[in-house]
Amino acid sequence: MTLHEGGLWGLRVSALVLVVGFAIGPIAWQLITSFKTDAALVRLPPFWPEPWTTANYEAVVQEPSLLRVLMNTLIVAGCSTACSLVLGACAAFSLSVLRIRGAQWILAGVLAVSMFPPIATVSPLYLVVRFLGLRDSLLALILLDSTFALPLGIWVMANFFRNLPPEVYAAARVDGCSVSGAFVRVVLPLSAPGLFATAILVFIFAWNEFLLALTITVTTASRTVPVAIAMFPGLHEIPWGEIAAASIVMTTPIVVLVFFFQRRIIEGLTMGSVKG
Amino acid sequence: MIAVRRRTQVAFVAPALILLSGVTVYPLLHVVWLSLRRRLLIFDIDRFVGLSNYRRLLGDDRFLSALANTAYFCGVSVALELVLGVSVALVLNRVRRARGVVMAIVLLPWAIPTVVSAKMWAWMFSADYGVLNYLLGRPVNWLGSPFWALNAAILMDVWKTTPFVVLLVMAALKEIPEDLYRAVRVDGAGRIGTFWYVTLPLVAPMLVIVAVFRTLDAVRVFDAVFVLTGGGPAGTTETLSVYAYELLFQTLQFGYGSTVALSVFLIALLLTGGYLLVLRRLPSRL
Amino acid sequence: MQRPFHMTLHSALVVSAVTWVAANVGGCTHRGEDEAQTARVRLVFKHGKIAGRPDALRGLLDRFEASTPGVEVVETSLPSDSDEQHRFYVINLEGGASEFDVMALDVIWISEFARAGWIRPLDALLSEDARSDFFPGTLDAVTFEGRAYAVPWFADAGVLYARRDLLAEIGAEPPRTWAELRNAARRIRDLHPELHGFVWQGKQYEGLVCNALEYIWGSGGDVIDEGRVVLDSSTNEIALQTMRGWIEEGLTPPSVTTMTEEPARHVFQAGRAAFMRNWPYAYTLLQQEGSAVRDKVVVTRLPAATLGGWHLAVNADTRHPELAERFVRFMTSAEAAKTLALSFGYQPARRSVYDDAEIRANSAFIPGLPDILGAARPRPVTPYYLMMSKILQLEFSAAVSGLRPPKVALARAAEALRHLMGEEGPR
Repeated sequence: MTLHEGGLWGLRVSALVLVVGFAIGPIAWQLITSFKTDAALVRLPPFWPEPWTTANYEAVVQEPSLLRVLMNTLIVAGCSTACSLVLGACAAFSLSVLRIRGAQWILAGVLAVSMFPPIATVSPLYLVVRFLGLRDSLLALILLDSTFALPLGIWVMANFFRNLPPEVYAAARVDGCSVSGAFVRVVLPLSAPGLFATAILVFIFAWNEFLLALTITVTTASRTVPVAIAMFPGLHEIPWGEIAAASIVMTTPIVVLVFFFQRRIIEGLTMGSVKG
Repeated sequence: MIAVRRRTQVAFVAPALILLSGVTVYPLLHVVWLSLRRRLLIFDIDRFVGLSNYRRLLGDDRFLSALANTAYFCGVSVALELVLGVSVALVLNRVRRARGVVMAIVLLPWAIPTVVSAKMWAWMFSADYGVLNYLLGRPVNWLGSPFWALNAAILMDVWKTTPFVVLLVMAALKEIPEDLYRAVRVDGAGRIGTFWYVTLPLVAPMLVIVAVFRTLDAVRVFDAVFVLTGGGPAGTTETLSVYAYELLFQTLQFGYGSTVALSVFLIALLLTGGYLLVLRRLPSRL
Repeated sequence: MQRPFHMTLHSALVVSAVTWVAANVGGCTHRGEDEAQTARVRLVFKHGKIAGRPDALRGLLDRFEASTPGVEVVETSLPSDSDEQHRFYVINLEGGASEFDVMALDVIWISEFARAGWIRPLDALLSEDARSDFFPGTLDAVTFEGRAYAVPWFADAGVLYARRDLLAEIGAEPPRTWAELRNAARRIRDLHPELHGFVWQGKQYEGLVCNALEYIWGSGGDVIDEGRVVLDSSTNEIALQTMRGWIEEGLTPPSVTTMTEEPARHVFQAGRAAFMRNWPYAYTLLQQEGSAVRDKVVVTRLPAATLGGWHLAVNADTRHPELAERFVRFMTSAEAAKTLALSFGYQPARRSVYDDAEIRANSAFIPGLPDILGAARPRPVTPYYLMMSKILQLEFSAAVSGLRPPKVALARAAEALRHLMGEEGPR
């Protein structure tokens, strides 16, 4: 029995090591690369940087617009997440708990929107943004990113709300809550894991959106992270060490955020046990 | 069930729908309109041709080969991602210590911009100084051989998007009450039985949703392939979106390019229809 | 007022641009003075990212502003990836954008943009007199239907990099023909089996066409001759077979089918190849500290060289055509070319700049480059070059990676080209 358990434990640990290794391996290599000099980049072995250099990071940090870019992206990703989460949760609530008529058709229509290849819609979207007078503004990016994240949000949250025991909502209404009261005080807290999971996905999606950001942003005033990284290569030369360093620096905020959100998902677990 | 006025129902769903249609209806109509035209700026051609662009698709070798490549990419990558995603989620679900750190690490690949991760993998795939061949000790021509190139793109896509599956499956796992597991165990079900009769059915609705969104992304795959191989060698990795991109932005064939793009949309529509049929058959808790 | 107005319809924009231009022809000087006193005119210059000291470019712009009162020049950069720039321009210009006035275009886009009506003719800037200084290939590339649509800004051409030390070992001169190059590579390989003979750009992309044309031209062939497709000739078959032969003989690694400029340079710079085909940019990098081939590199001309480079053009929808032209004239002057060359290593498109003492003294410039640039040939100058190139990329890649014999690949490409030119072409 113990032997069996021990074997299982060992299996689990090695599976975990494998998973973590696969996930982090390429990024670790990126990190190692970012400390190599230009000449050492293309020599393998040695595996480790010889000598170690921080020149790549210095180049990135010296970029005068770095903070600006990070702030822009933080604003775009943050607002898009908030916007699509709020709108998405409300819509999902109506579609699942409130059982609006034709919910299935609405869900299908919402999904259809996310089937369009972005490369086909980028030209007309550019015209829309121009028409609205929002060129080169963060607002345009927020608008577009939250729209494109909405279908995912609506679907995932509708699924979560649908899985709630119907009595919970009914009890809240009987206790005198208004519809929105029951939504905010009962339904949302119970779906916390789904909300936070969706938030992470949307935030990262908006953080990384490239095609629209490149087309719409003109000046450094509204440049976002992926566009800034795309600005590193020269005419022919691709300073790989600097790109590696830049992507490490510019991904760090996400890692911190994910770590933070992850705690909220675990908290969601304890709340979720109410249902048992 | 407590009755709710229709006005309230509509009020909750309306803002999202207004935003969605406001932003997407015009681009959609624009593309449909273009797909019915022959529009070649550089030849001064711009006329309505009805469905002839769609007829042209069927006789276009490059379209058919891109279709096959896309189908292969989509089928293999989504299947791998789902299987891997569920397994990883189950493993992680058992982790008690340092869970936040482990989760953050597992989510990292999803957090790197696609363009950057594609370049990163291109660097690792390099036959001459890439770390993969260094570790393997063999000079595999990952991106340059017709056999490996598309599989290399799949490997990168699996690395990049499995976290998406993991996160949503884990969130769904949290919804399963502990009592249920205990009850099944009392009934004498083994680990496999528990997974098969409890975990999987309860995660299934979420799994279908995840599959839908992953499939929609995989059908439209662009960056992963475009940055890694540019469609080469000899077009063996060209996917529908890469082909559409070439038509729209590189050779300015706006009409036919829109038709190819719309075909991606129609394929996605068909696939999703299939998934939704599956979803409907699942036992619903409503 | 500074904000661009947001017209909904493309036609409305065109109309407004036309009326503006019409009004401008009559009284531009008056308007210039007027604006100098009231508001400064903003001229926006859009270009691919320029790596290096940003202050040097700013210095140039300041000089222009000082010489042209009332004008403020704003420069904004795009990612230097040529594809991303092309997409940006296609979306913006097709949408009738007038937010930028002057743009730097890749040599292969000029006729396309001219044909699409996106850029203004600039004949005034390239008079007989002004033409004499530019390399002939660069002028061919900016001319469409007898008019000039852009002014050469800086030039590029394929060159052959060779290892001086290895050449000395076999007692050979830098090769002049493809056959000589192969012989030299063979002999070096016999002495150093661990080295690659020759690295070049074989990925399916624009660079592959540049490479292949150098074989085709170098053996006397061509793609199009007087409007007729002559791609499927036996000369060209031999040329493509030469390319494939590098790999079959093991002188070029099979991974060349993934190589763009930088991977090739990395292999060569690490000292792992005897010869490399690349653009002149690599020279400075090969010579930098820590490079394994520092001071061991000699640059010579290829049997034929493909012309690259960037050119300045003016947005057809600009609201300041006169000023934009003046700006282009300034930026393409010998004086500006010298500054750009010394600050960013860009190869001037003007022959006279290479005679400048400071340029001659600068070790970053390859001796003999003016002759190479002078002999370099532009890729076929037609509005549908990008369509042609896509066909060529696919079939050349098939031939190089061994998927199809060169003869078959060329026949397929020729058929597609004939279809393109016959059914859809102007003829």
